[in-house]
Amino acid sequence: MRIEKCYFCSGPVYPGHGTMFVRNDCKKKRNPRKTRWTKAFRKASGKELTVDNCLEFEKRRNVAVKYQRELWSKTVEAMRKVEGIKRKRQAQFIFNRLKKGKQLEKEEAISEVKKNIHLIKAPHAGKAKVLEEKMVQKLQEDVEMGDD
Amino acid sequence: MALYNFKKIMVVPTSKEFIDITLSKTQRKTPTVVHKHYQIHRIRHFYMRKVKFTQQNYHDRLSQILTDFPKLDDIHPFYADLMNVLYDKDHYKLALGQINIAKNLIDNVSKDYVRLMKYGDSLYRCKQLKRAALGRMCTIMKRQKQSLEYLEQVRQHLSRLPTIDPNTRTLLLCGYPNVGKSSFINKVTRADVEVQPYAFTTKSLFVGHMDYKYLRWQVVDTPGILDHPLEERNTIEMQAITALAHLRSAVLYVMDVSEQCGQTLEQQLELFNNIRPLFANKPLLIVANKCDVKKISELTEEDQKIFADLTAEGISVIETSTLTEEGVMTVKTEACDKLLAHRVDGKMKGKKVHDVLNRLHLAVPAKRDEKARPPFIPEGARIGRKTMEVDAPKRKTERDLEVEMGDDYILDLQKYWDLMNQDEKYDVIPEIWEGHNIADYIDPDIMKNLEDLEKEEELKVKAGEYETDEESEDEEMQEIRQLAKQIREKRKLKIVCSKDKDVHGPRLPRTVKKVERKTLEKEMGDLGLDMTGKDDSHYAVNARRSRSVGVAKKRKREASVVPTSRTRSQSASRPPRDQSGVRDPKVCGVGYARSSCHQVKWFVLKICTMHIGGVLVPWLKETYAFGDVMKIKFV
Repeated sequence: MRIEKCYFCSGPVYPGHGTMFVRNDCKKKRNPRKTRWTKAFRKASGKELTVDNCLEFEKRRNVAVKYQRELWSKTVEAMRKVEGIKRKRQAQFIFNRLKKGKQLEKEEAISEVKKNIHLIKAPHAGKAKVLEEKMVQKLQEDVEMGDD
Repeated sequence: MALYNFKKIMVVPTSKEFIDITLSKTQRKTPTVVHKHYQIHRIRHFYMRKVKFTQQNYHDRLSQILTDFPKLDDIHPFYADLMNVLYDKDHYKLALGQINIAKNLIDNVSKDYVRLMKYGDSLYRCKQLKRAALGRMCTIMKRQKQSLEYLEQVRQHLSRLPTIDPNTRTLLLCGYPNVGKSSFINKVTRADVEVQPYAFTTKSLFVGHMDYKYLRWQVVDTPGILDHPLEERNTIEMQAITALAHLRSAVLYVMDVSEQCGQTLEQQLELFNNIRPLFANKPLLIVANKCDVKKISELTEEDQKIFADLTAEGISVIETSTLTEEGVMTVKTEACDKLLAHRVDGKMKGKKVHDVLNRLHLAVPAKRDEKARPPFIPEGARIGRKTMEVDAPKRKTERDLEVEMGDDYILDLQKYWDLMNQDEKYDVIPEIWEGHNIADYIDPDIMKNLEDLEKEEELKVKAGEYETDEESEDEEMQEIRQLAKQIREKRKLKIVCSKDKDVHGPRLPRTVKKVERKTLEKEMGDLGLDMTGKDDSHYAVNARRSRSVGVAKKRKREASVVPTSRTRSQSASRPPRDQSGVRDPKVCGVGYARSSCHQVKWFVLKICTMHIGGVLVPWLKETYAFGDVMKIKFV
């Protein structure tokens, strides 16, 4: 028994569930490479990690290997580790991809504030008071000066 | 050979069905409409067509029946005889003859009536003629009821006859009932003939096929024959006799040594001698069956003499037991060999052989020297041949194990597996983990690859690839983000508000709208300006003034003093509109109800018509034309 990959969306097909996923296959002339949500599209347009050493571990081999207990148990251990590393790398890949977006967001916020600040705060909002205080201060100074 | 056509004979319908089919076909496939007023030739043609169509149909079907059924003279005499035995040659021929006569009669009827119809002068007459014609044809068919039924039964039985090829190698089993002929055929071939303790279990001929010396052999099982003269034989026995008479085969006469069949050996010998003439020119073999019960050596002297006599005449006697399978193979091989020899002999004596013989030439290499050069047989083949000859089981098969263990037996194929460590054979092998197939990861080098990968990963971590450089943003940036968010929200709100306003009609400029003091102060306050103590600001003063002026206007208007100069008149309160241009307001004779809110409007209406709901309706339409028009004043 093995888990197959759906031809269309590259998702896993567990034994006995074939009909559900094979229906995704329905050939209304859809190219999986152009349907945005499939893995095939994502890999072809560089949205996900495609070439990496950790991905080389899982591939179909044509040479049968005779069962050996220790080899199998070691393989299971190795699978776990490889899986961990794979996940880390995939996450990092996507993070790097999205970094630029964050930068752009920042710049946009700055420009927005510069242009449209008048919608929430009048430009001369606190200025009248400040001016008044200045004048008061000045007057006081004058008075003091006059006194002297 | 007409052998296989027995299955392809068309179904013979009963007479009633036949008539129904043909008549309904006529109704469907010929035109149905005819009227009195048509021209007479057209009417005649119409009815003639129906008659001819019906005749054609009958003719076709009957001819097909006649050709499908085999002619007894044209087929192999074995089948001819067999059919005679089963279906009575005379009856068969008669039935087919009747059908033929019926066919001819129908043809004649149709001819006659078509001729008569040429003189039909009205629709009614032609129709009656057609009715008569069809009626007569159908009556003829009705009379064939018996023949058709008989032929249908013959056809069904014919199609179920066993396909015996009369020309190929055949072994024929005969003897008394219950001696073991059917058991023998069951043992030797794959046939599954019924075997029961009562006589005449086998009621007809059965065929089985077997292989010997790379050739296909037929084995024919017959019903048992009893010992009485030919005339008194019933159908079942006759079948056996027919087979014996016509098939060129090797005959195996089966005898029951133990006399379990109910006949003594003498009686069996009697029968054998009676049907001896049928065995002329056929290799003969006597099968002494049921020897597990009684062997020939255990018999009495006289009985043993019988067998001795037979052997003396040159006929081989072989003891068998279909129960223990003892001797069955010997019988088979001997009978086949004898028959082959006989056939080859026959062919050699014939004329055709010489043509072939002249073309055959066996080339033998001439000896060069005295060195012996025997054929090379590899060791494995020699061993194999030896084991085959010994015929002992080489190794214990699963089937043997199963038989031994009975109910405890479990099929365990894992014990045959060939692994590096033999003690891992019964391990449960994992296949799937967390959505991945383990088989995809299996690799003898996997540990090495894993090490390399881990080293790589370490290097990457050291190089700092995985550090999330989230520059903790300084306060300023956070503030900016906050403000940007507020701005966006405010903007969206404004857009929604303006869409909600839903202004119909002409767009007025912003200055026409009156701005409330309260809303102005609130908005500016939201924006951060200080709006307290603005009572004597410009907008507040204006607001008060306009209010007071409005109040004043509500009082009844007194006739104001006519201004003396123009400029003054413009700066002072304006005269009411209905008096503008009028020197003395009292001159205006029309009494209007005055209200400051209303303005005098002049409507000029025109009576016209308008389509409303598809109906012309009189309507009053606003227009500015001034001729022939009614003037109404609305106040």
